[in-house]
Amino acid sequence: MKFASSEVRRARPLLGTFVDITARGADETNLHRAIDRAFATIQRVDRLMSFHDPGSDVSRINRDGFPKGVIVHPWTWRVLKCAQEFSRKSDGVFDITIGRQLVKWDYLPKPGKRFGSGGSWRDIVLDNKRNVRFRRRLIVDLGGIAKGFAVDRAIKTLKDNGVVTGIVNAGGDLRVFGSTSQLIHLRHPARPTHIARAVRLRERAMATSGVYFERRKYRGKYVGPLLDGRTSQSGRELISVSVAAAECMVADALTKIVFTLREKAADLLAQYGADALLLERDGAPSWIFDSLCDTRVPTRFA
Amino acid sequence: MTQIPRWILPTAISVTVPLPSYAVQYLSVSQAQKLCFPEATQFVAAHIKFAPAQVKAIEAASGEKQLLRGQEIWRAMKGERLQGFFIVDYVIGKHLVIDYAVALSPEGRVKQIEILNYRESYGGEIRNADWRKQFLGKTARSHFALNEGITNISGATLSCRHVTEGVRRVLATYEVCLK
Repeated sequence: MKFASSEVRRARPLLGTFVDITARGADETNLHRAIDRAFATIQRVDRLMSFHDPGSDVSRINRDGFPKGVIVHPWTWRVLKCAQEFSRKSDGVFDITIGRQLVKWDYLPKPGKRFGSGGSWRDIVLDNKRNVRFRRRLIVDLGGIAKGFAVDRAIKTLKDNGVVTGIVNAGGDLRVFGSTSQLIHLRHPARPTHIARAVRLRERAMATSGVYFERRKYRGKYVGPLLDGRTSQSGRELISVSVAAAECMVADALTKIVFTLREKAADLLAQYGADALLLERDGAPSWIFDSLCDTRVPTRFA
Repeated sequence: MTQIPRWILPTAISVTVPLPSYAVQYLSVSQAQKLCFPEATQFVAAHIKFAPAQVKAIEAASGEKQLLRGQEIWRAMKGERLQGFFIVDYVIGKHLVIDYAVALSPEGRVKQIEILNYRESYGGEIRNADWRKQFLGKTARSHFALNEGITNISGATLSCRHVTEGVRRVLATYEVCLK
């Protein structure tokens, strides 16, 4: 094996955030080519799953999912399948139909078409042959899971193009591969310009969710973009949830569930071989699982 | 860290970077030029200083405020042929300035965007004794390290809205000054 001597790091604005890719390998020209391709992969995911792009699969589903149904790209299909699996397993805490509420609170733009007032993940039908159909007027938003999927695909592109070690960080949803571990710093949940913790990752993905950059007022009350799908209530607490898992898509979705369920998500985390770290308002970890663990005794909930 | 040219910055914006800060230098200008226009044989500087009427026209066309006093622009040439424009722009991100490059085709279509320098200011906790204390007594199993700098941050997604707005302004600059 060649000695991995070069490192290239680049960033582009994609997926509504900054996507930062580091690649290590033998030859710098190859690394640049691999990164170019990884960015192209992410752009492809963006084009398929963007809520804002009228030509995306997501916009097509939102337009014609009811009553007709829409055939989607295999990648969109996979993300939708995974989203539905998390909805089922979390009993609706994770729900891609909360887009409705996010439009109301102005986190997402109003789609051109009426989208009704009720409905949930249970009204989404995933037929065979990649056909997506709604049982009633509905809108879906893959903002809580597509970014993780994009990171996973980008990692695959890097590997397929001969990169030995690397990291893809899409504004906080990230994945590390290769033989060396990476130090990842976590923002303080109440003071995001401060660093609260650091963890080490190796051959693993991590996603972090918090409302600190996104909290806003709606009718005099603070709301945030992280909702409990069962009640459409927003999590307003200035906490952050980081979840580590083998795949970034899984980590991404699980952060939303842990944000609402906290320690009650333990079984679900275990099912996916995932670990979580919840930082309270004061930056203290209140609940920790194995691979992200600290040497100090964690404070557990009663 | 590259210096932002003085002639471009509005007098109101301070160029001093408070410490400590998180900063990543991704690409130098010449590295980014080669990545955006691999075919080009030379990059001819064609920097401009805005006339007041141009500033107004750019603002009207983009809907964005034009705070910069000028723009660094290079023509990417392959022999005598124009391959496109390479433009460096600056936006204020979360607290600090982000430098990025936009590559435009000769017709003014966005070919590529690359972040050159990303900066974010941080509170004093990294150097603060109390903060460091939390790492004392760590064992070999520990996932924490003291002496490594910040290279990657996980946190709720940071919006790239400022860059998106900046690109809109750069496209208007093309319309007003380069077309």
